[in-house]
Amino acid sequence: MILLEPHNTIIRTTVLEKIVKPSALDVQFVDFDGVRFHLSTPDSKTTLLLSMHIRCWNELVQYGALDVLKREYGSLLAATAEPDYNVSLEIDLNQAPPEGEQRDDFVRKLSLLKTNAVAAPFERAFKTQKQLEANPPPEGSQSELMAIHYRDEEAIYIQAASDRVTVFFSTVFREETDRIFGKVFLQEFVDARRLSALQNAPQVLYTNREPPLELRGVPGLTLSDDIGYVTFVLFPRHFTKPDVAEATITHIQLFRDYLHYHIKCSKAYMHSRMRARVSEFQKVLNRAKTEVATTERKTISGRTMQSR
Amino acid sequence: MSNVLKNYLAAVRATLTAALTLQDFSSQVVERHNFPEVEVRGSKEVLLNALTISRNENERVFIEPSINSIRLSIKIKQADEIERILCHKFTRFMMGRAESFVVLRRKPIPGYDISFLITNTHSETMLKHKVVDFIIQFMEDVDKEISEMKLSLNARARTVAESYLSMFGS
Repeated sequence: MILLEPHNTIIRTTVLEKIVKPSALDVQFVDFDGVRFHLSTPDSKTTLLLSMHIRCWNELVQYGALDVLKREYGSLLAATAEPDYNVSLEIDLNQAPPEGEQRDDFVRKLSLLKTNAVAAPFERAFKTQKQLEANPPPEGSQSELMAIHYRDEEAIYIQAASDRVTVFFSTVFREETDRIFGKVFLQEFVDARRLSALQNAPQVLYTNREPPLELRGVPGLTLSDDIGYVTFVLFPRHFTKPDVAEATITHIQLFRDYLHYHIKCSKAYMHSRMRARVSEFQKVLNRAKTEVATTERKTISGRTMQSR
Repeated sequence: MSNVLKNYLAAVRATLTAALTLQDFSSQVVERHNFPEVEVRGSKEVLLNALTISRNENERVFIEPSINSIRLSIKIKQADEIERILCHKFTRFMMGRAESFVVLRRKPIPGYDISFLITNTHSETMLKHKVVDFIIQFMEDVDKEISEMKLSLNARARTVAESYLSMFGS
């Protein structure tokens, strides 16, 4: 599995199961970036309440997350969210679409709750880019830089310009190994675009320690060797068509998770390699040991001697 | 194996074989104790001249003989940051299992990556030439292993980057 799935598997499987056979339910689970979910049936077995807590909710609302969620979920969106959570969906299982493609789409949409919430600032940036393209701003002015602090120390910054949308990720590596592995991976992201097959991919830039020019002066940036900044430059071809735009948003959100997932995978692989190699060395060393003669010792009457 | 490495390893092998002439020797300082003299350095007269075999500034072997034990420390080639971290991980992994590698020291001496301590007990219970073989094979394989790990890391990074970016192309 090289690519990560954008949807939440627990929501997907649980809801599918409950549509077929409703029963009382109360589960709490998590997703990437410290997102918490709560899936329960508070009133009746056929009404599922799906709540989500996301760290950067206030920022997302500011960038129009509620509108996006209303558009995606319509009447499912609960008027007030469950306490301790940011947003709730009420799903009436009796009104779930019939089995088949329709139901799959419905459940898939539910499982993309986190993705849709985070999509808001991206959509806003894409809209802003269109406006800027239509009536170009005066030279030297910059449009709003949207910051989403989706983790404690890491953030996504999005900025629209008249011909592109730039997405900045700040990413922190906790360990020395992670930092070095991360550097190798990010360097490949920068280099991979030279391939002719990937000419259409967004341009990727990577800087260590120093934030990119656009981010200079943004409050809350710490200078440290552990921090890297990854910049994606999205051109109109990545978001003009609605379906392409959706894919782009879904994809780019998962960037950090994808990167760290593969760093962990490489570490695990290195570990298994070392294990194999060390046991190989052990065998070589064991060859050096002189064998202790283990002949069976017997008494004259034929009984075996045993040491205890 | 390159020809250059061959000479280096041959030198280490010859020196190590010559140095591995160990005998039982009780401590002259503490009665009824028997220490590896190269570690305690209690009496000067039982320590022999230490020797460095170096291939280049980044790769060398330091052999310290004494009457009843010898210590051999290896500095492994580390060309860049990745090799440094891989080498560190690998040696740490091995030294964590020093119990089963009887001749391995739990900690390297300063300035080196990994140290072995061979005492007269080891040379009595193990075949001398096979122990030397083990050290030589270790030196050979560790370089190979580290460069292979580095290659696989790069290859993985490339695949990962390509498959991520190719999703945008469509």
